[in-house]
Parts: sequence; structure tokens; C-alpha cells
Amino acid sequence: MRRHVSGLVLFEKVLFATLAIVLLIGVANGQTGRLSGTVLSEQGQAIIGASVGIGETAPSQITDQAGKFSFSGLRLGQYTLSVTHVGYATYHETVRLGQQPTDVVIRLVPQSTLLADVTVTGKTETQQVREQAIRAVVVDTRAVAEQPATLAELMNRSPGIRMRQSGGLGNMVDVSINGFQGNSVQYFRDGIPLEYLGGGYGINNVPINLLERVEVYKGVVPVTLGGDALGGAVNLVTQQHHGTMLDVSYEVASFNTHIANVSTYHSNETDRWFVGMDGFYNYSDNDYKADVEVVNENSNLVPVTVPLFHNGYKHYFIEAYGGIRNRVWVDELRFSIARYAIDRQSQHPALMTNPYGALTVHNQGWVPSMRYRKAVGKIALDQFVSYSAINRSRVDTVRGTYDWYGAFTPRTGIGESPRPSLSNIDFDNIISRTNLVYKINESNKLDANVVFNYNSRVGADPYGLRFAGTDTDILSKTAIYAKTIAGVSWESKWLNERLVNQLTAKFFHFKTRGIDGFLANGTDVDDYTTSTHSNWGVGNALKYALSDRHLLRASFELTNRLPRENELFGDNDTRAPNFALEPERSLNVNVGYRYQSPAWSAEIGGFYRKTKGMILLVPIQPPFAQYQNLDSVQGYGLDIDLHYRFGQFFQLTANATWQDNRMVDIGDGLHQWIEGTRLRNTPYFFANAGILGDFENILSSKDRFKPYVHWNFIREFYLNHIPRDAEPDGFLGLFGKAKVPVTNVVPNQHLLSAGFTYFLAGQQVSIGAEVKNIADSKLYDYYKIQRPGRSFHVKINYHLTKKR
Amino acid sequence: MKKQFSYAVIALIAAGTLFTACTKDDPSPSQDSETKYVLITLADRVSGNKAGFISAFDEMPTGTVSNASAGSLEGQGMGGWRTYGNHIYKMFRTSDYATGIEKINVTADGTVTAGQFISSKDQAAAAKYFGTGNFVIKDENTGYYWDAAEPTKIQKFNPASMTANLGSIDLTNAINERGADEDGIKFRSAGQKFLAIKGNKLYANLTYAKQDASQIGFFDDFFPDVYIAVIDLSSETYEKTISIKNTGSIAYINENHMYDFDDNDDLYIVCQGRTAIGGQSKIARIKANETDIDATWELDFADDFTTDYNGKFVGVFAKGGKLILTVNTEPLTGGPTGNINSADIWKFYSVDIATKDFTEITGVPVGTNPGAAMAVVEVDGKTLLRGSTVSGDNGYYEYNPANHAATLLFNVNVGGAVSGFHKITVQ
Repeated sequence: MRRHVSGLVLFEKVLFATLAIVLLIGVANGQTGRLSGTVLSEQGQAIIGASVGIGETAPSQITDQAGKFSFSGLRLGQYTLSVTHVGYATYHETVRLGQQPTDVVIRLVPQSTLLADVTVTGKTETQQVREQAIRAVVVDTRAVAEQPATLAELMNRSPGIRMRQSGGLGNMVDVSINGFQGNSVQYFRDGIPLEYLGGGYGINNVPINLLERVEVYKGVVPVTLGGDALGGAVNLVTQQHHGTMLDVSYEVASFNTHIANVSTYHSNETDRWFVGMDGFYNYSDNDYKADVEVVNENSNLVPVTVPLFHNGYKHYFIEAYGGIRNRVWVDELRFSIARYAIDRQSQHPALMTNPYGALTVHNQGWVPSMRYRKAVGKIALDQFVSYSAINRSRVDTVRGTYDWYGAFTPRTGIGESPRPSLSNIDFDNIISRTNLVYKINESNKLDANVVFNYNSRVGADPYGLRFAGTDTDILSKTAIYAKTIAGVSWESKWLNERLVNQLTAKFFHFKTRGIDGFLANGTDVDDYTTSTHSNWGVGNALKYALSDRHLLRASFELTNRLPRENELFGDNDTRAPNFALEPERSLNVNVGYRYQSPAWSAEIGGFYRKTKGMILLVPIQPPFAQYQNLDSVQGYGLDIDLHYRFGQFFQLTANATWQDNRMVDIGDGLHQWIEGTRLRNTPYFFANAGILGDFENILSSKDRFKPYVHWNFIREFYLNHIPRDAEPDGFLGLFGKAKVPVTNVVPNQHLLSAGFTYFLAGQQVSIGAEVKNIADSKLYDYYKIQRPGRSFHVKINYHLTKKR
Repeated sequence: MKKQFSYAVIALIAAGTLFTACTKDDPSPSQDSETKYVLITLADRVSGNKAGFISAFDEMPTGTVSNASAGSLEGQGMGGWRTYGNHIYKMFRTSDYATGIEKINVTADGTVTAGQFISSKDQAAAAKYFGTGNFVIKDENTGYYWDAAEPTKIQKFNPASMTANLGSIDLTNAINERGADEDGIKFRSAGQKFLAIKGNKLYANLTYAKQDASQIGFFDDFFPDVYIAVIDLSSETYEKTISIKNTGSIAYINENHMYDFDDNDDLYIVCQGRTAIGGQSKIARIKANETDIDATWELDFADDFTTDYNGKFVGVFAKGGKLILTVNTEPLTGGPTGNINSADIWKFYSVDIATKDFTEITGVPVGTNPGAAMAVVEVDGKTLLRGSTVSGDNGYYEYNPANHAATLLFNVNVGGAVSGFHKITVQ
């Protein structure tokens, strides 16, 4: 345990005048002085939210974003400084306050003296999530916030998780967890289903600076996340602020990429009211080079490498909020309003078979919301409600086509895709989430959660489909989708809290109302169809701490994934409605073991899943396809995650995931041979390794240099089913090639990236630089969409905190 | 412990690196043979890109066989094929389902590979307007096809060298003989769905489409009649336009070209009708020495098969004065519970051309819609019928015209629904 007393004035810089944030220095007057300081972890990370007290002389304070605190107007003399934070041993220090302001640096020691990983020490909130009964893979975004990394990249380095991103910055991202993907995985922000933000804030576009961490639940999902996720959930946890802060970052990168982020917050001295604003701007031409084919003089296709020319992305998001805290009737009441707009160029259809040169898609919305939290005695209430007004459009009206060089050929038909469009669609979305916690006693807790989501769609498209035999636009008829997901869990602790059990039950219900626009219903445009469905789910999670170093976990859940609105109603084009869809159902079982020591940690997780009635898009009557409950999948898998600290400065991380998800219950008949084949278009082995360094006092006193290298590998996988006996040989199918020459294969992929973060003295300014895909390897999305080659990124961060 | 862990990490990285370095040669091929029986199956149920397999067998398969083996070709666009002598072509590229003309190569050791591909001159236009690669072959070195890049022209290509850009036949004026000023016609083309060569004449359908989005030119005829341009191939000049009265949707854009020649060279042409689920579906004829539609003969679904329910013809095989057809046995329906493509409702009939009598063919199961597949093929002098059902019957059945009965020749258990079978001599 070390202590530094500097005697320097704490805040002496005033920057970013445009934002009018001014730092104030405490003023000592007469016989009073000021005591300030910074609370850090052993690794030098600021500890936010630690409670700092100096006895009864002044109210306790909570450390801010930079881990700082400050008491001013203190009478000179001796004080006993105490710092407490969950997961850390309480710190006590006697401090003598003279006329000169006193500044201290305090390093807390983890309570358990266990080391979790390079960035998190002790049982911080992040660490507690890692160790809860329901296993979560935690992506510690705050620990790497200064790096020019995207959230998708960080998540890809985690065990059991694969991100699927179709192209460059801003393109859609899908998460695959234990082989679950698409709508089977759901997304949340601070426990609220992310749909309410309309796509303006998501894993494909939110800068990591805005996040505290990301929790990825694999298999079993806590009841507090009120969703109908089937196999996994991703919860984006935003940063919690105290005091006054400003956080600014700007990244410039290859392909004319610019990412800017501003976050500011202020609360009054007594923390009874607060205001803040988060905003970011993403822009990229995404004009990286791709291997495509062009027609030669013989009308044969020849490969060429060309820069993409219509792949740009522009996006801003801004959210202003304010509220009150610490009142008799409310712990926190927060109002916010978010505004976003996304403009995206579309370079190609689902596969890179041909280019588009003018097709664009747009998404914008206003999202006001309110959150109320209050704890009374043993009961705590958390109520969130929002209304989203979202407008989406797709513009494909150009009369002509483009080639891969961007050359235009005029044509008479409207639109360059098979689906001309000038759509203007309004979505109204209301979401309410109520969470109620009742703490029965120190060992037992009940947690109830209800999410209600109402969504309506109405719009127009002069080039869109009409009800057969009429001129009535299918979009002009309102489609309504509402769902309710309720759950209750009982958490009980036994054996001096070494054993924790969570029993959960969930209820799922949805209701839809709309017109079946597919062919047969063409003449009756007032014939609304309704559909409702209800299901139950149940689960249990168990954690047993064998000792401070050994942790066992086991859980199971029988759960449902409700059909989505677009799956029920179709897309007013070639995706036909299906009001007969039923929820997908899945039984998920997870087991895990975690070991921690001061030098290293290891975690092994295994899963089993049996999923029935997966909702898949199935071709029906050409050109139509339709979502149907089709396949069942059974699988199991294993992942291992290792962290090892060596020497004084280095940390090594590695993880590997193998999963064996296979088709089952195909039944007798034509496709019986598919029984037992692998789930198509899904990786079954991937691995990561990384080395991170952490050096201090390099160029000047108190500066910091953190270099890193990351390597990612994905084993080849197949877009279509191949017979099981034709799969590659070797241990776990990891070696060799399939015994059937497979054309539609995504080959082995290697991604090597390296960079560093340099913190200037005082650590308010930092610079991150990274070279991604150093080897310029060919990388692909799941459907073989090419991803960017080598790229260069530089990011500058500024963090400013003002004490009370 | 530290040391052990370090070793483990190093081993992990090394193993990952080795995954790409390790390769294993395919198993040895079967013995060489110049004669190959080539089979294509459609395995796809969900992507719509017709994933499947092609395999080559040294001998006529018997019993139960797998269509996914060491020499097989896995890929997309496996709904069927078009053959010419010893050559096999597909209209969808194996690697990515792009439309065009792809040659399938088979080697003496039985290895099947995707060969050269003729693409649209405009890949974006080909993706928007379906039908690029609808082709017909005149001889070893000359063929004609439709390209969405130039929709009112017929393109020439060399099926041996698989090269194109050899010139075209412009039918713009022929198309504009009618409806030139009609605003309701959104798209015009020539040869998009039907190209046939009879005698020294090329027959190309003229499309007048009402739709300007999604499957433009299909089930959206502006006129009640179907028009066909007749081109003299000696001079490659347009001669005239003929028509099939009161029907719609001639042929389609897939491997099943939906026409056939009888032994006497009479040409029989399928029109699916007004909609995808039927209505005015019929088969028309151009007699061997004629260049006009035979006004004295047509086979009409309603008039000649049944008026009890709607339906349509989806293919034709002509031989010895008889047609072999598959016809739906119950009303066609689309949508979530539609039977058109997913139910066992398509039954084989032999139709006497002279009397138009329909005779059920026994022994082959009532199966799924053959769609693009080759429902009837001739191999080694045998007429083979495709029998593929949801419940698992999946093979070719040898047809005996004497008693209108078929018997199972071989069954396929791995690789999906049988879609075509052809015998070649490896060149």
C-alpha cells in the first residue's frame, strides 16, 4: 500500500473552452484548507463510485469518473480518511491538513487479493458480474476506452462469442453466442431492451468510451433483462458519473473514417440534481479494397481488386438528460431525450455479386424516456418508460445500373435493385420496464421484472407492393405488434454465501394485428388478422465457491423467443407474412469452473442446448420466402479463457471456443441425411490470444504506455450442410479438409492487430494508435462478405474532471 | 504452475497457426472411365440459392446411392441443368448463384468441377431482371442466350470455348410492333423465358411485363396472348411474330426449359398460365415443318384435364406421339400452407397427343413440384421419371410405356432431391 502527497494544486488546466467547462480550484481561506485525492486500483485504474469519508466533519463523497474526490473548507488539523468500495479492502489513513491543499493518491487492494485480469482488480462491479451465478462474459470497455477499437472487435476477443459484421464501420452486426444468432440474441442498454433506441445506439455504432462494460450472457439470461432472448443476451452498461466531467475523443482512421465522442455530466454538490449529455458522430467512406469480379471482353468474369465506391456511413446520436436524486420520494428521477440519424450507402445486395451505386437507406428518430428509481426499506423499484418516433426509408429510384468501377449505365426501369423503393415508414414504439426487488433478508431476495413493448408500423412506398388487384399500398395499413415479458427470480444464499441459487420463472406473450398481404388476401384490404401466443419458461442458476480461488457454476433454462414483427408481417416485398409462427423454444444448460490466483485466472465453460422450431426464412413460391418454424438444433460446446500476468509489466490473454451444434429431429424423408450435420454458416472453432503491456514513467513522470497485440483465428466453416461423414478429420474436426470438395466454404481466417495507448502525464490526455489486420489477410463475414484489409487508426482522448 | 501455463498458451497459439497449414489430400478417386452417369441433387431448404451436389458414376447407379462423395461438386444453383450431347450447363453459378451460363466439367477419374462461366455484361441488371443465361445451343460452337444487360437482343456464345460477345440479334423493332406506347408495360424483352431452335429457326418469346419490381416478366403479362419471334438462323434476321392465344407465362427462367420435341420434331411448348398457381395454363405446338403455332391443337388444363380445380403444367417430355407430364392432383395454393412446392401433389401422366387422353403412370410416387428439375430424362434408351417426395422417395424410375408403369432404378439417400441425370462420354 503506497501513498503520495503532492502538495500541488489538483486542477490547474482549463481546456475545451468551446464547451465552456471550466475547472475550479478550491480556495483556501483563513484557517481552512482543502483535501483532495484520487482513488486507484493497484493497476492504476481510476475507481469510480468509491465512498470517501473524513469522519463527521463533512459528508462522505463519491469518487468521480477519474476516481477523484475533494473536500474543501476544512479546518486545519488531523483527519482520518477512510475509503470504501465494494470488492476492496477498506482503506484508512491519517492525514494532516495544513494551509497548503493536500492531494493524496490512494491505491485500494482487492478484498479477495485475487486478480481477475489485466484491467480489473478485485471485486469491482465488473468482477461481481463475472462471478454471479449466471455466467456473463464481461467485456471491460472502460479499461480499453482509449484504444481505437470498436465494440465488435472487443467482443470478438471474448470466449464463445463471434461477431458477424457485413463490411466496415456502421454495417449491421450480429452476435453469435453458442451458435445462437440473429433474433435469438437480444440487446439491452442498462437492462432495457435496446429496440427503443431504434438502431441509433447499438453494438455496431456506439463508441466504447460511453460504456462501462458489456455483459454477454451465454445460454441462461437473468430475469432482470426482460427479453425473450433464446440463447444469449448482450447488455451494454453505460458509465455512471459523479461530480462534473467532460470526456472527449476523436479517432481518425483509414477509409476516411472519423469517430468523435463527447460526454459531459454535472451534478450539484449535494448530488440532488444532475444534467448530462452523451453524443457521438461516426463517418466513414468504407472505401476499402475488395476482391470482386468484372466482365471481360468474352463475357467471362475475371477477378479484380477495386475500392468500394458506394459504401459510406454517416451517423450521429445525441442524448441529453437531467434529473433529481436523493429526495424523500425518489432516489433518482431521470428524463432524457435522444435524437439520432443514420444515412447509409448500400454497395451491394446480401452477397457481393453485383454493385449498387445509388441505393441508400436512412433511419432517424426521437426518443424521449423517463426512469424512476426508489428504494424503501426492503423494496426497490426501478421504472423505465419511453416512446420512440422512428422513421425509416429506403431509396432506390435511379434509372440505371453501376459496375464495380462506379461507371453508370442508364436504363429505363426504376431502381438498380430488384426492389425499387422510395419508402417512408413510421414506427411508433412504446416500452415500459418495471423492476421490483424485495430483499427478504440478507440471504434471500426476490426480483420481479415486466417489460411491455408496443410497436406500430405505417407508411408508404410508391414503388412498393400493392394488395393484389388494388392500388392500396400494403404499408398504408397499420401493423401492430405488442409483447409482454414478465419474470420473477428468487435468489438465495447459503453456506455463508458460498452457495448462491437463483430460481427464475418467465412468462412470454405477444399479440399482433395486421393484414396478410400475401397474394390470397389481395381483395379484402380491411380483413385484419390477429395472432396471439403465450408461453412459460423456467430456469435455475447455481454458484458454489469452493474457496476464494475456485468457483463452480451450473444453470439451466427453458425459454422462448417470440416471433418478431417483421417475421410475422413480412417486409411488403418478397418476404411473405406468416401469422402462424410460433415461438422458438430452447433448453439451455451451462456449467462452468473458474480459478483465480494472483498471477493467473482460468475459466472453463460448457454448454448444452436443444432448440426447437427455429424460425428460418424459407423459400416458398418464387420469388417469395417466408419465416417458418423449421429446424431443431442440438449442441454442446466448450470454451476456455485464460489470463496470465508475467513479469512486472505484461499480461497474456488467450481463449478458445469449440462448439458442436447439429441438426436434429429432421425426421424421415428427403432431408433425413441432414440429421446430425453441423449448423450451417456458423463457426465451430475460434481462438484469440493477446499480449498487453503496461509501463509507467516512460517519457516523463507519471506518463503511461500500454502496448498490445491481438491475434484472432476462425476455423473454416461451411455455408451449406455437408454429410457428417464427410467432415474434416482430426481432433474435434480441427484439421484437414472436408471429404467432399466444398465450394461454399469460408476459409480459415487470421486477424492480427497491434497498437498502443499513451497517457500523458496526469493521464487526462491519451493517444491510442492501432494497425488492424496487419497482415492484410482476407477476412470474411459469415456469408463471405469481405471485410476491410489493413487499416490505420489514431485516437485522441481527453478527460476532464471538476471537483466540487 | 506458471511454466505449465506458459506452455499451454504457446501450444494454443501454435495449434491455431497450424490449422491453416495442415491440409489433407482428398481420398483417391475411383477408377478412370470415359463413360459417366452424372447426377445432380438439390439439398437446399432455406437459403433459396439451391445448394446441392453433382456426382459422376462409372456405371448406371442401382440400389441406394449417395450423391456427396470425394469427387462430387458442392455448391449452389443445383436445381437442375441443361445438357447438349456430352456437355452439361447450368444457369446459376456454383460459387455464388449468379445467373449466366456455367459449364460443368467431368474428368475421367470422376471429379466434377465448375467450369467457365458466361456472365451478363451488366451484373446489376442481371440481378434485377431474372433470366440472364436462358440459352439454347445450335451446334457445338454456336448458342444463343438472353442477357438482361441488353434485354431486347439475343446474344450469341460459343458453348465449346464458353466465350460470348460474338454478336447479337436485335429484336427491338419486333417487340415494338405492339404496345410501343403503352404506359402499363414496364419492361420488354426477347428470349428472356423461351428460346428454342427448330429447323433453322430460332424462336424467342417476347415479354411485355406489367411489373417493375420483383420477378419482372413473370406472371405479369400485359397481353392475354403470348408472343414468339421467329428468327432465321442462316441470316440471323427476324422473320415474324407468332402467338399462343389466351394464356400466359410461357416457360420460365430455369433449367427445365419447358418445351420438348417429339420424335417427329413437333415442338411442344408449356405456358404456365395467368398466375403462379395456374389459370389458362396450356401446351401449344409448332409442327415439324411449320413455323406457326398449330391452331388445330392445344392441350388446355381446364378443358382437357380437369375443371374441378385450378392448376397448371410445369414441364413436358414428348416421345412417340405421347407427352409425359406432371400435373397437380389437388388445387394449387400458395402462402404459408401452400402446396405448390412443398407437398406431394404432382402426379405423372402419359398423354396421347392425338386423343388428349390422360393416363396415370403407376409405380412412381406422387411427388413434389419438379420445378427446375429434369422430371423426365432419357438415358441408355430408357425413359426415366424423377420420383421425389417429402416422405423420402428420391430417385429415378424406369418407365415402361407399354403398361404405363414405372419401377425404381435407383434411390438417392444423401445430397437432397434428385434434379437431373445424364450420361456423357468424357471428352
